[in-house]
This record gives sequence, structure tokens and C-alpha cells, in this order.
Amino acid sequence: MRITKHPVLDVQEGKQVSFSFDGRTLVGKEGEMVSSALFANGIRTFSIHTVGDAPQGLFCANGQCAQCTVIIDGLPVKSCITPLREGMDVRTLVHHPELPADDALRSSHPPEELSCQVLIVGAGPSGITSAIELADLGFSVILVDDKDHLGGKLVLQTHKFFGSMADCYAGTRGTEIATILETEARNRENITIMTSSTVVGIYADGKAGIYQDRLEKYVHVSFEGLIVATGARERSLLFPGNDLPGVFGAGAFQTLVNRDLVKSSERVLIVGCGNVGLIGAYHALQAGIDVVGLIDIAPAVTGYKVHADKIQRMGVPIYLNHTLVGVQGDGKVEKATIAQVDESWNPLVETAKTFAVDTVLIAVGLSSADEFYASGIEGGFPVLKTGDANEIAEASSAMMGGRIIGREMAKLLGSDVTIPAEWAEKAEILKSHPGEVFSRSYKLQEKGWEPMIHCYQEIPCNPCTTVCPHDSIHLNDRTGTIMDIPEFSGKCVGCGLCVLICPGLAITLARKSKEEGLAELVVPHEFDHDYEPGTKVRLRGVEGADLGEGTVKAVRHNKKHRTSLITLEVPLELATSAVGILVQQEEVIQPLKETDFSYMPDNAVVCRCERVTVGEIKEFVRENDVTDINQLKLSRLAMGACGGKTCLDLVPRVLMQAGVDRGNIHPATHRPLTVEVPMKALANQGGGQK
Amino acid sequence: MKNYDVVVIGAGSVGVPLSYRLAVRGLSVLVVEKLASIGQGQNKAAIGGIRATHSDRAKIKVGNASLDVIRRLLPEYGQDVDYIEGGYLFPAYSEEIARGLKQLLPLQKSFGLNIDWIDADEVRERCPGILAEGLLGGTFSPEDGHLSSLKLSGAFHRLAMQAGVDFIFNTEVVGFEVDKGKVRAVLTDQGKVSCSCVVNAAGGYGRDVSLMVGSDLPVYPDSHEAGVTEPVKRFFLPMLVDIAPDEQSDNYYFYQNAEGQIVFCITPRPKRMGTDRRSTSEFLPMVIPRMLHLYPRLRNIKVRRVWRGLYPMTPDGKPIVGFDRDVEGFFHAIGMCGQGLMLGPGLADIIALAIAEGKEDEEVFADLSPYRDFSGEELLK
Repeated sequence: MRITKHPVLDVQEGKQVSFSFDGRTLVGKEGEMVSSALFANGIRTFSIHTVGDAPQGLFCANGQCAQCTVIIDGLPVKSCITPLREGMDVRTLVHHPELPADDALRSSHPPEELSCQVLIVGAGPSGITSAIELADLGFSVILVDDKDHLGGKLVLQTHKFFGSMADCYAGTRGTEIATILETEARNRENITIMTSSTVVGIYADGKAGIYQDRLEKYVHVSFEGLIVATGARERSLLFPGNDLPGVFGAGAFQTLVNRDLVKSSERVLIVGCGNVGLIGAYHALQAGIDVVGLIDIAPAVTGYKVHADKIQRMGVPIYLNHTLVGVQGDGKVEKATIAQVDESWNPLVETAKTFAVDTVLIAVGLSSADEFYASGIEGGFPVLKTGDANEIAEASSAMMGGRIIGREMAKLLGSDVTIPAEWAEKAEILKSHPGEVFSRSYKLQEKGWEPMIHCYQEIPCNPCTTVCPHDSIHLNDRTGTIMDIPEFSGKCVGCGLCVLICPGLAITLARKSKEEGLAELVVPHEFDHDYEPGTKVRLRGVEGADLGEGTVKAVRHNKKHRTSLITLEVPLELATSAVGILVQQEEVIQPLKETDFSYMPDNAVVCRCERVTVGEIKEFVRENDVTDINQLKLSRLAMGACGGKTCLDLVPRVLMQAGVDRGNIHPATHRPLTVEVPMKALANQGGGQK
Repeated sequence: MKNYDVVVIGAGSVGVPLSYRLAVRGLSVLVVEKLASIGQGQNKAAIGGIRATHSDRAKIKVGNASLDVIRRLLPEYGQDVDYIEGGYLFPAYSEEIARGLKQLLPLQKSFGLNIDWIDADEVRERCPGILAEGLLGGTFSPEDGHLSSLKLSGAFHRLAMQAGVDFIFNTEVVGFEVDKGKVRAVLTDQGKVSCSCVVNAAGGYGRDVSLMVGSDLPVYPDSHEAGVTEPVKRFFLPMLVDIAPDEQSDNYYFYQNAEGQIVFCITPRPKRMGTDRRSTSEFLPMVIPRMLHLYPRLRNIKVRRVWRGLYPMTPDGKPIVGFDRDVEGFFHAIGMCGQGLMLGPGLADIIALAIAEGKEDEEVFADLSPYRDFSGEELLK
């Protein structure tokens, strides 16, 4: 189950290798992550937990949790960060692994000692831009990232960016921005880049401990200043069945689908209507995966309206004021049940709908991964945080913020530099939440093309205003920032550049046909298709209302933008209201006839590593007088491989449900290591791959 | 706040079991803790070793009392603290170490300890894969063991609450009210608590608390770092203690806990004095190569977490236990030298008996007196 054709991504053939899983011979691509190779072979259960023999599957796909652990050549390893090689013997991990009798004495070596002026942890958009800024000011920088490439989450973002073209490459796809930034960083001699290198601890004596998994090495880096650009973690959600294989984060989904081109699923339900969830739905459709719908407990979409609009046009419903009652299945996700909620967010079981899905994507927001910032403060070092590690916002704002933090660090280390005031203003605007929604109606002129800009909500975005060759699109100047809404006035030659560049797919071109009562409508399309002229398509209004039928007249594919322009013949009265065409067939979104009404919230798993449930925590709180989250470690909560990365975010809510006063809750203590490190690497016994 | 018979300062390895024993003996007890919950100071930093195998009579006696309590926790009190009686094993790879260990045996046996020399084959049988080359054998004390420090303080906390002990957290002691040579109240940053007896069980900060009644006792913390790995299937039971020093460190020790994880700790040289508990870059490169030399197959296990805890040391390596001679009703139970976990449960009843009924165990109270001559040195550290 691989994606063999993708509208915006190149499908690389790659070298095929064979490997075995539980004795079965399978085929994968050399160098892809083992987890992706397993998914591509339809394998989604990676281990069997000691508690309740529960099957465990992929969850973060980011090397942070350890849910994807399998046995490879006798040793337990995280399959999501282990590249596939010919002949690998991969096995399901059942309970605790056995330590091999590898008893030959080998020599150990102390860690290599490196030093720099500024250590930057995380080479995503903010880390790279701060590195570039510092390097240009003459500082020596070590830029460390746990992945084998730079760009952070940009490499998963196949959609075109919002923001301003001048400041953050708006209109360009995230994957392409990653390449641009990487090249800029690599062109600077005073930036040392360490990839496949995970900072596992910032120690009190002013050193970072770095684990290089590919090399099986452990090195120390001394630094004067520390920039934490470690991004964010996906929040999880408590519902029964939340640990079944097939429930995973939107980030994991993007990794499988966009990075590794694995068709992870046949049919998904997405929880969360922020931009991550909305874009996830879009990416699913592009990968040929059905989306039964998106749900959110909030009464309104929190992401950009243009994103919500475009997926609704494509045929994906959005259920607001809805919660996930539970996920059911025998060892894997088979069904998901949603229901509307009352004012206190309790599900109204009579409104329940059950869908047949194999995947539930969790996209309920992010929380900053800023533990190293706390370590830096504790250590008394000059330390700054940037990007999502500082504040959750769009990558466009992270790029601007990274530059500012680079200069801030230079100042902290005694450099006499200034930070242009407009940088901070721009960073502020770029991280703005969507603003007001306005309405507007169009009337088609008698002759010639005109862009219909179906962009009604103030968001920080302006590419359409900069591409028009006749400078005919301008922001309306209500606030005087790029939050303002674009408007057309002047000349239009129908070139389609504004249609191609709009990240929201919210611009069409329309003109009256020569034939009475008809119009030509040009819509953007980012899907694979084989529309012959004459094909009938369903026309959709801005928010997805079905408007009737249109006929394809011509299709032009723009290679640079990897977007097609479809010229349709439509009834004249629809020329100003039709915005796109239906992509997903309507039968996909129908619920099952039989609804599963069971609601057992106490069965939800809070700590995935140790499988501690809501019910168990509530019982522990009843038996022990608990206000300090550290006490819950007695139940083994947060004692597992990941160190509480997911559960500690969920625990306060559970404690409150158990009657603990929020103000009395004492947070858990964080300790190194960030990820588990084999002793052979800590002792530099050699054996890694070159 | 109400009036208590006894206020225990510190909800740690010593204070929590003691509060339970005092309550069982009919006293009203309040535990005052600076941190947010039980065991958050040095208790949770203890790696979990429990032994009676010391080298002096008071600690052996207290250690045996602890083991006795711990063995009964599950069958009699329904409290599972992950206790595994895996023994302590001190392997020897040099004649000098072997001689030193063997020399201690007659003394240890004279105190009734079950400990003996085992040969290299038996060491290897008990610890499959341990370095065979140069192994001479070792001493093994099968009745010692290990447990979860978190679960031990949790168990005594539940028992203490059931027995009526009150706990207040996030509360720091700032002084005492002493009237006519007798302690009357504990002053905290949250107010005053009247009482007729105070026990200082403040662990790493024990000296500071005793100083508040004008008693300057020689307790100076140093610190050790420790770590824990991922769990693997059980492959050995004992606590392994390698007492052969190298260039940067003295002994180090590790065991496999009930979860299957290896828990490990090392004594750095020179000692790191003070109360700094932040992790350093030195620990892992110091301890891991030594562990991999002794037990090569550990190379494939992954280290999960590290931390640092205090060893509130006294000059002779023995705790300070006893009433203050100037302030009536003030009891010192400090300077556990990093062994609060293994001594606390045993000391609890010995101290409770002294406070509730005035009956002092002669040997223990003589050997651990706050006013003893501190010039002696511990043979088995």
C-alpha cells in the first residue's frame, strides 16, 4: 500500500530490499523507516504490551515516544527512526525484550568534546533562521537536529505557505522552503550541522549530551548560549480505544503519507479542526485516502476559514460541537463513534454516529517542547527559545521569530546589534489567529476575465497581491497589515497566477461565455485527475454547498506550482458562487446503520508507555491524597520510555475530574534523558554505520 | 493549626514510616514537608537497595529491623513495594578486594548476618554474563534485597493516613518555640503548630533544622547521580556492588528491579559536596564504561533517565539518632548517609518506642548518639 502517484510530490522509485517480519519475507525500500515499510506491507501492530497484552502501533512517528518499538536483529529499536536495510530480521516485540548474551568485552571511549558559541537545538524553520542570523554576525554555531535532514516539520508540509512572500516564502510549499533554508545554512562555514543527533540532556556543567544514533556515538557540546528550537508535540486526547493501533497523531500521518509516500489508511476520521487537522484532511485526499469527516468539540473551526472551506468543497463534512465517544475494534481501529455534546461537553448519546474507519487522526493542538529551556534556566546559561518551542504558531512566523532570537542571542553574548523594529511587528502579525469574517458578493462584468476572491477572513497572507502582473490585487487596508483581505480592481488578463498561488485555493477566474446564460470558470485543482473535455463535475459553493453541474472545457497543468487550472463551463448564475469541484464521493461520508452507543471514558489510556488508564488514576487519587503529579509515578504514569511527553499534558484534566482543585496541582519533575540511549553508544564502543 | 503530640519534619524515607509507628502507638502526629508530596526529596532518588549487611552493630540491627518490616508489608499489610530478596553480591577481581571482603566476614557473621564467600562459578550463575576473566568470587548476602523507593514511601504514607497521621505539604519550617528548655511549637511559613515533641527527619537539610534549636550536628550532604534503563526480561537478581575504585570514582552498584529495569549509581571521587541536585555531563561517561566492563551484555540496554540525590553524610558514616540534650522533646533522626531508605523502616519503631514510651534501645542509641565521638570510620561503605 504505497502511494504510486501524487499530485504534488515526486514518487521516488528507490531500491527495493527484502526483509522479514515475524518470519515472513517482505519487500520495502532501502533507507525508508522500518515503520513505513511495515505500514506499506499492511502491518500496523508492532508490539504487545505487558499490561493486558494490548497491541501497540505507531503513534508519533517522530522518535519521541516508543510505541513503534519492534525487535530488529535481536534488539528492541524504534522502527520509526530506523532505516530499512536488506535482510533485516524484524519481529513483533512481545512484552519486555530479552537482552542478548552479547558477552564479549569491548573497549569504551569517552565522549568527543566539541564546543561552540551558540548551540541551537532543532533545525526547523526557527532554528535554521536563527543559525543563519548568528552566523552572519560572526558567531560559531552548532545546529543539532534529531532527523537526518534539516527543515523540521517543513518537510512534511506539501501545501503552499501562507504569510508574506517577502518575509517567509509565502505561496511556496513547505517542502521547498526546507530545501532553500538548508542550502542557506550549509553555505555558511561557521555553522556546524549535526543531523541524526538528539540532544538528550542539557547538563548543569554547561554541556549538552548528544546521542548520534546512526553512529552509535555520544558526544558533548560546550556552549556559551543556548537556543531551544525544538518545536512542539502533538497533544493527545482521552477516549476509550485511544491506544488502539490506527489511532495516531496528524504528524505521524503527514510523515507516513507526505514524507514516505505510504498509504497509511483507507479511511480516516480526523479529530480537531485547527489548521493541522484541516490540512491533514487535504493531504489525505491528495494521497487517495477517504476522509469521513472532521470533528471538533468547539463550536467553530479554529483553523483558517479558507482551509475549512476548501475541504468542505471537496466533500469532507465538518462536525462542530462533537466529541469522539470511542474507537472500537479487535486489536486495531475498525469503527469510530462521534456524538454531539451538551453545554458541559458531555456527549448526547442519542446523536451518536458510528463510522467504519481504519484510522483516527488526532489533531487537537500542539504543546511547546521546551524542557531544554527549563534546563537552561536551571543551569543559569544564556538561553532563548523560538518557534513552536516558544509559542505555537505558523512556520511563517517561526522563520521571522528565529531571526529575531538569533539577534537576541547575539546581544546576550555581548554583541552590539540592533533588531529592526519591523521584524517584531511582522512576527506578531504572522502568528495572528484568524480574524474577522466579512461577506462580499460579486457581479460578473460584461466582458473579460475577473478574479473572484473567495477569501473572507482576515489571515496573515498576501501572495495574490504580489503575483498579479498588472498589480490589480490589493489588500483592503482595514488594519494596514497583511491580515487585510485582498480585493481586485483594475485590469485582469486571465493569466491565472493568483489562482495558482493562493494557498487557500480560494481564487477563481470567471468571464461570461459567448453563449447566452453560460460562463467560463477557472478553478485550481491539486489532485491527480484524468478529466477529459466534456466531463461533468459537481460544482461546490464556497463552504461546500452543492450547486449543480459544470462541464470541463480544458485543463492546464502548471509544473512550477504543481497545480492544475481547470476551465469549466458553468451556468452564468454560478460563475460568482461556484469555487471548486467535488473530489470525494458522497457515499464515503455515510455513517454505519448500526451505531455503537457505549460510552466508557474511564477506559481511556492516559500514559501510553505504561498503559495507565483514566479509571486507574481516579482510583489512585481516591486511595492516596494526591495533588502532586509526581505521586502518580507510583502508578507508573510517566515512568515509561517517553518520560511523560504525552500523558503529563493530559493528567491535570484527569485530576480535576477526580476532584482535585486545579490550583493545588503540582507539576511533574522532568529529568534527562529526552530519549533512551543504548549503553554501547554512551560508552562509544563503536559499531555504528558510516 | 491544632495541637499535636509529635510533629515530624520531613515526609521522606525516615519521616513517613516513623509517623506511622508513632500513630500506631497512640500519638497524634503531623508531618510537615517543604515539598509538594511525600518522598520528593532524597527518598525517590534512592535506587532501592535494602540490606542489613553493614559493618557495625547499630546499622546491622536497624537494617535487620527494616528488612523484617519490609518482608511483612505485602503479606500482613497488603502493601506491594516490589521487594525482591535478591541478595547483595560484591564480586572480586583482585586479591586485594577479595582479601578485604573476606576480612569483614567474621565480624559480619558475629552480628548474625547471613553472608558468605561464593566462588567464581556461583557468581556467574547468579549473574549470567558477568565478566569471567579474572573473577575470583565474591561475598553474597542472600537475605538482602531491593525495592521501589517510591512504592515504599507510598505504602507507609497510606498506612500513616489510615492510622490518622496528618500531612501538610509545601510548608517550610522556619524555627521553633522553646520554653524553659522544652520544645513547645514548630514555626512554619504557614503558621505555628503546637506540640510536645519534634522529630527532625529533614534528610539533606537536617543540619539546618537542628541548627534552629542551636544544635550544630555534623551532617554535610554530598551527592551521587543515578540512572535507570528500559525494562528487559529478568536475567539477574542480586544488587551487584563493585567496590574496586578507578581514576574518577569509588564504588558503583546496580540491580534489576521488579519492572526489569537496571537501576544504577556511582560514588564519584572527589566527593561532590553540597545540595546541588542538577544532573551533570560527567555521570554517564563515568559509570557506563565501568558497568560495561563488569557486565558486557548491558551494552545493548538503553538508559532511560538520570537524576542526582543527596547523601547526608556524617564523619563516621553512621546516622545521628537521639534526643537533643539541651532542648527537651527535640529528637534528631538525620545524617542517614544515603541509607535513609534502608534504615528508615527499622528506625521508625526504634524511635517511636523511645518517644512514646521512653524506651531506648541501648546499642542503637549509644552508637548513633548525636554526641558520640565521630572519629571512627566505616569499614564497609
